[in-house]
Amino acid sequence: MKNSRTGRFAAVTLIGALALAGCASTSGGSGAPTSSVSPTGPDYSSLTGTITAGGSSAQGAAEDAWVAAFKALAPGVTVNYDKSQGSGGGQTNFVAGTYDFAGSDAPLSAANIAKAASGPCGTGGAINIPVYLDGESIAYNLPGVTKLNLTTSTIAKIFSLKIKDWSDPAITKDNGGTALPAGPITVVARSDASGTTFNFTSFLYGADPTDWPYPGDTAFPVKGNVSLQQGSSGVANAVGAGTGTIGYIDHSAIGKLTTATVNGVSFSADAVGKSLSTGGVPTPNGASGDLSLKFDYSKMTGADVYPIPLLSYAIICNTFKDPAQAKLTKAYLGFVTSATGQAVAAKNVGSAPLPASTLQQAASSLANVK
Amino acid sequence: MSDSKIVDTAARSSTASAKSAPLEGRRARRRASTLSTGDRVFLGFTTGSALLIMLILAGVAIFLIVKALPAIVADWPTDPELHAGPTLAFGNFWAYVAPLLWGTLWVSAIAIVIATPVAIGIALFISHYSPRRLAGILGSLVDLLAAVPSVVFGLWGIIVIRPFLRPLGDFLNHYLGWIPIFAGQPSSTGSTILAGSVVLAVMILPIITSISREVFLQTPRLNEEAALALGATQWEMIRVAVFPYARSGMVSAILLGLGRALGETMAIALIISPSIVFSVRILTEGGNSQTIAANIALNFPIATSLQRDALIGTGLLLFVVSFGVNILARYILGATGPGAASRRARREKKAALSA
Repeated sequence: MKNSRTGRFAAVTLIGALALAGCASTSGGSGAPTSSVSPTGPDYSSLTGTITAGGSSAQGAAEDAWVAAFKALAPGVTVNYDKSQGSGGGQTNFVAGTYDFAGSDAPLSAANIAKAASGPCGTGGAINIPVYLDGESIAYNLPGVTKLNLTTSTIAKIFSLKIKDWSDPAITKDNGGTALPAGPITVVARSDASGTTFNFTSFLYGADPTDWPYPGDTAFPVKGNVSLQQGSSGVANAVGAGTGTIGYIDHSAIGKLTTATVNGVSFSADAVGKSLSTGGVPTPNGASGDLSLKFDYSKMTGADVYPIPLLSYAIICNTFKDPAQAKLTKAYLGFVTSATGQAVAAKNVGSAPLPASTLQQAASSLANVK
Repeated sequence: MSDSKIVDTAARSSTASAKSAPLEGRRARRRASTLSTGDRVFLGFTTGSALLIMLILAGVAIFLIVKALPAIVADWPTDPELHAGPTLAFGNFWAYVAPLLWGTLWVSAIAIVIATPVAIGIALFISHYSPRRLAGILGSLVDLLAAVPSVVFGLWGIIVIRPFLRPLGDFLNHYLGWIPIFAGQPSSTGSTILAGSVVLAVMILPIITSISREVFLQTPRLNEEAALALGATQWEMIRVAVFPYARSGMVSAILLGLGRALGETMAIALIISPSIVFSVRILTEGGNSQTIAANIALNFPIATSLQRDALIGTGLLLFVVSFGVNILARYILGATGPGAASRRARREKKAALSA
């Protein structure tokens, strides 16, 4: 018993290591082919310099993959992305002028928009560019149950502790009338304040405000018999080690856990991409070329839409103080928002490539950055 | 034979000359006249280092106070930054920090209760029971334990200790659940204060062990042999000769261990499923008190600036508490520990000489 748990954790760690190794080999292997296969792609090899960035840890693994892949195309460029900062720290450092771009799971806040305009960005303002799309998975561990479907309202009731047993009629109904083995449900959530929790609680509040009356927040709001764990890996480990557990995890961090389908839809790049096209409402912040989105979860009800997307942005100034830095940062983010960049992230961390329309918008926004 | 005689004469002659001129005065004259550049530089360096440590401490204290003030004076329920996220449910700074302070003391106290008997046992074994060679090996093994990074202890806690303690937790909850600390719904993932405290106990074991061992080894040989000569067994000898002599040293060892436990961060943050509440429960998922250090580690990364100030404020309180505990420990060790009596006697003699 103990061995199998250890094995599972080791597996999670191993997958992480493989992903890293994979990214290294991708960068080494794809460097030359990329330039030969797509001769129309920009040539980065003459660039030199250092890009300083940081923020969201959700896009951290993808940044690692992008940095390694970009290094192969542009050997003269060093990109330092500090994912220990979190989205909040990324925004703070960005408006203080220490970052060329910030990674953030939420668009630049109203207070920070003003600070950016009066600080590093000037009147051109700062813009948010989507770079990373993933989803959040509902992972569970219920021995003998390999298939589980949950509707949004059942998820809201489980996570607000209104449904406490796996044999609850609501769960039975979601699974076509087949009752699950009875047993208490243990909800696993994040103990650290996180963008993942903000995203998940926003989804529940947007999709079912009656069963989930708590607005989106970085801290898990429900008190009671909830197991709180540090980080996505902590949640994944606790879900795997416990019995009757259920938790929300960034899709890229689920490891070998089994996940539930939400409203009958399982996670896939397509299904998450659809959530962006059906439920993503543009909320421009005033700066020209800004691509901020707000999710309208009530629209993500289609039979092919996975309704818990996780979108992460790169935040940059429209006008850099140093044109050379602008050129470098544009080149790197241009690579990130290219089809190749999105494929690198999809391959290495299992994220969903952004839809082509979003990538086009990103390219035209980046073109105006000076 | 003749050599020792010469030495003896030399010693006698120096004593004779010392008698003619007062020793203290001569030393002072020498210090003033022969202070070379090297000496002066080194004196400056050591004095500077000593002053620096005080400046650093004062600097940390001032930083904590200045940064914490905005959060302490803020109106929490109406402030948009504080009325969100981890600080949402609290009316003011003190309502936020009080349960955290309780949790810090509570988790540390349980760790101390678990660690102390074991640590004293190890120290006694090393100092009084084991063969000399084994004692050396054992001593360095315990010291090695102190070198393990706390995040490693945290991972060990998650992977090994949590599942290992779950059956014990269920047992205690089932049969002794009427005792408040074992009450509540038992955890199904093992993220309990019990698991956290066990790991914490292992982490503070080296401190308590090595200080206690030193204190035990300083017990005067004469006292021990006298006890044995009176017919005491080994255990009786330890009880009547070693423990009374080492009592204050043990107390301060425990307090220094407590100081270490109070500030422990990563292991607690990884293992315990925390709630900011006043609770004595140690077997539940949702009723575990949270510690200050772990709370800072969990919430600092994406906190807004006022939330950061609030977290720094909790750090200020932790600073004050650990500072107090450490001073108390040093004071007890210095005032009543082994050698204190002879040190006091020496001081008094010196005072009498200079008077």
